[in-house]
Amino acid sequence: MQCKFVPSVCSYCGTGCGVLFEVIDGNIVSTLPMKTHPVNQGKLCIKGWNLHEHVNSELRLKQPLVKTFGRFIKAGWDEAIQVAADRFREIVDRHGPDSVGVLVSAKVTNEENYLAQKFARAVLGTNNVDHCARL
Amino acid sequence: MKARVKRWLEEGIVDLFLGYKMVMGHPLPYSFTKADLDAVDEMVDGPARYSLEKVATHIAQAKPEIKIGMLARDCNQRALNVLTIWNQLKPAQVQTVTVNCCPSNLKDHGDCSYLDPERPGPVKQATGIDNTLRPEDLEQMAAPERFSRWMAEFQKCIKCYGCRNICPVCFCKECSLEHGDLIGRGSLPPEVPIFHLVRATHMAGRCIDCGLCEDACPVDIPLRLLYRKVNEIVKTVFDYETGSSADQSPFSMIGDKVTLTPKPMEAAKLAN
Repeated sequence: MQCKFVPSVCSYCGTGCGVLFEVIDGNIVSTLPMKTHPVNQGKLCIKGWNLHEHVNSELRLKQPLVKTFGRFIKAGWDEAIQVAADRFREIVDRHGPDSVGVLVSAKVTNEENYLAQKFARAVLGTNNVDHCARL
Repeated sequence: MKARVKRWLEEGIVDLFLGYKMVMGHPLPYSFTKADLDAVDEMVDGPARYSLEKVATHIAQAKPEIKIGMLARDCNQRALNVLTIWNQLKPAQVQTVTVNCCPSNLKDHGDCSYLDPERPGPVKQATGIDNTLRPEDLEQMAAPERFSRWMAEFQKCIKCYGCRNICPVCFCKECSLEHGDLIGRGSLPPEVPIFHLVRATHMAGRCIDCGLCEDACPVDIPLRLLYRKVNEIVKTVFDYETGSSADQSPFSMIGDKVTLTPKPMEAAKLAN
């Protein structure tokens, strides 16, 4: 039996509320607002209160899916990346780099977000980069 | 206190002890175990309050055989009584170490986040309700004014469900607040005042006046005051002080022999 309380920062928006995950036997069972955190002072919005639900969600993607004839088919990483790269190449060649944009996420790390914008600017050649936490 | 916790862990009186420890400058709840007795030296008992008894119910659900020790202020103790009445915890599962909390006539020093309540700002004074009022103070006000002030408070609601999520005595798997037939879905603010009144009626005979809901409310609705009024009615009608003991409550009769004597209906009329 292991019970841990893990302090963290809410990843839904740019406010940066302090949250506390209640972890019992390796499962996050609940999210609590951190009472003494200077940003949220023990309060949270509905998204913050439900942070643990997306971690435990059954709907999370576990492997790449490629849309083929309107349906998502399970695929390997190599195949999925190749399909994405071919389509990007096709669209950028025909309509120019500003015809695509990259939306990054608060649910990945800072470094991954950095890589994503680098990919948009240096590889695709567009400044169309945005982020869900830019509230 | 620390010596007692250590002894309990060493002797196996409890398998884990829920208390507080400073982590990265914040007093956070911490589960102390026999494997790491030295951590007990760093245990603190304030100033932040978390619902440790709610954590205890989660642990009891995962592993019913675990014996839980817990740091308990008066409000934690009342919550444990209510959770026992509602079969969420068995008295044998939880041992408590009592710590200082709200000041009273008997003790002048307390450690609780409620010692210095915030004073209401000008807008709240003009249109809302001062959270520090008592139900009887509020009743001095004329009914229409009281109604408009309560509605002004309820309309601020951002439907975060924080009051329910943090509540130590809210444990239902299915919640009326999320039931589409009772409360309309998909609107903000939620349907007022029904959203708050549904919760208020469910707090009758359950609310232990810990004030965590009000603490967690991002828009500062005087929830504690609302539930105090509800429990005042419970007190008048049933002569029942919520959380004062783990004996049967007038609201939980299922499965046990009813030993309560009904009070005359005059009392009920008075309460209305």
